[in-house]
Amino acid sequence: MSKKKLIYSIERQKARWGWIFVAPSLIFFSLFSFYPIFTAFYTSLFKKKLLSLKPPDFIALGNYLYLLKSPDFWNSMRATIVFTLGTFIPILVFSLILAIFISSRKRFQNFLQLAYYSPAVLSSVVAAVIWLLIFDPRGLGNQWLNFLFRSPGVDHKWLANSIMVQLSTMLVYFWKYVGYFTIIFIVGLASIPQSIYEAAKIDGGNDWKNFWYITLPLLKPTTILVSIISMLQCLRTFSTQYLFTQGGAPLAPINVITLNIYHTAIRDHQIGRASAMSIILFIIMMLFTWIQFKTSRADEISY
Amino acid sequence: MQNRWLKKEKKYSFSSQVINVLIWGCLILMALFILMPTLFMFTASFMPASDILKMPYRWIPKDFYWKNYWQGIKGNDGSFIYIRNIFNSLIVAIVVSISTVILSALAGFGLAKYSFKGRSLVFMMIMGTMMIPFEAIMIPLYLVATKLRLQDSYPGLILPFLVNAFGIFLMRQFFITFPDEILDAARIDGASEFMIFRTIILPNSIPAIATLAILTFKAQWDNLLWPLLVVQSEEMKTIPLYIIKFMAEKHTDEGAMMAVAAIASIPILVVFFKLSKYFLSGAALYSSRKG
Repeated sequence: MSKKKLIYSIERQKARWGWIFVAPSLIFFSLFSFYPIFTAFYTSLFKKKLLSLKPPDFIALGNYLYLLKSPDFWNSMRATIVFTLGTFIPILVFSLILAIFISSRKRFQNFLQLAYYSPAVLSSVVAAVIWLLIFDPRGLGNQWLNFLFRSPGVDHKWLANSIMVQLSTMLVYFWKYVGYFTIIFIVGLASIPQSIYEAAKIDGGNDWKNFWYITLPLLKPTTILVSIISMLQCLRTFSTQYLFTQGGAPLAPINVITLNIYHTAIRDHQIGRASAMSIILFIIMMLFTWIQFKTSRADEISY
Repeated sequence: MQNRWLKKEKKYSFSSQVINVLIWGCLILMALFILMPTLFMFTASFMPASDILKMPYRWIPKDFYWKNYWQGIKGNDGSFIYIRNIFNSLIVAIVVSISTVILSALAGFGLAKYSFKGRSLVFMMIMGTMMIPFEAIMIPLYLVATKLRLQDSYPGLILPFLVNAFGIFLMRQFFITFPDEILDAARIDGASEFMIFRTIILPNSIPAIATLAILTFKAQWDNLLWPLLVVQSEEMKTIPLYIIKFMAEKHTDEGAMMAVAAIASIPILVVFFKLSKYFLSGAALYSSRKG
């Protein structure tokens, strides 16, 4: 065999091994990601009932048209959007500030990081159960708020009032994830070379100027990343709302889209309609991910 | 001149001390807010229900009321099903972690170190699955699971999570920096590609494997939606499902509820504090993610 041919056959063999290594995962994804998402789309075009033996009727975009006219669906969209905006903006702002504060400390950095991260490792069901007790009329939530406002004996109706229950779910989510995103910001901050700050010091910058003109612009990729991840996570929220309604909170204010999908499919047996909702959620999330790829690629920073 | 400089320095240090105190104040307040609910769970788990919803709340239990834990483990019907449910959660989380590590390492290695036609397409496709939220595919998966009679079984709980795109991405990023020379040297010595993977790649990627395994374990420990769909019997429930069921029972009081929550949290908190560096490096790897 000539040398060229030998190299060629080695390369071909290596290529084969590449496929062999990737194959198990590819098979998995085709069965458990691509196939179901196509089925979801296909099912969304039918009027299909769970457990029904009748062949489903093809109604084209009927489910989508139904949803667009359904106040229940729009209520879910509203609940999801309110929850997402009301959660990810505070998370973004607070985690950025906390990360800057922690990074500027010389002592207890590690302790603070662990303390802030710790709620993220608790399971979301446990988190919801703890907060359900805190939000009890006789619980800590009222005690703290009454202590702050000096208003003894007032019940703030954390779980009963339709606005308060939305705030309550946001508070639980904020509590659980603010530390996680703080850690991501701390890593982002650590990747900014110290020499830039030293150069700024020579040029006469102060801490405030440093923050606005150096830290914030250089942190833009991390900020975009955190906002997209947290936004996607908020769009997918389920456990907190589910547990809260199980614990007696009213459904309508916190009937987020995932909860609605679950109820439509499992309680109402409307598989087609639930699939249509899934596809809408998928499209919304795809849009956000697409924005992430777009913006993160344009913002690669090299030092 | 000298004097003026000194003066300025002094003034600066006073205001910076004020800022310093303010920053510490914020950090401590935030730490209190974040730690309080967890602390509340543990203290309340040692109190009779009448003490938990008392105003004002006493943070130190009067005497340790172990009955809550006994009731939590025994269950209201005395069936000790919680132990079985904890075991289920462990099985599912461990099996999923192992399979995720193995499959992600294989695929990550293949994508990082072998060039083949269509590699970038394969990589794009795998990354694309990150865009598909589980919530959007759970109903088709559920229909398939019922058709294959996988409800209420370990395979049913485990199969949809065998590997994920984030794991593959993480391993690929880790392997890409691995020197090719070592792999070629092993090839010259006659090692097969699979042997290279097993004897060179795997032992040298323990930190990445540990990070991925821990993050996967944590995610499965927390999984609610899928078990909610596929599990029907009490025996196959996982911890989150048991907590929901326990909460709905009328003999459950607040103390027992907190004891059950504490039991569910202790293992994962122990793992977290023992292996915290892997949790933190997991966040770091996430933030290094680029398009």
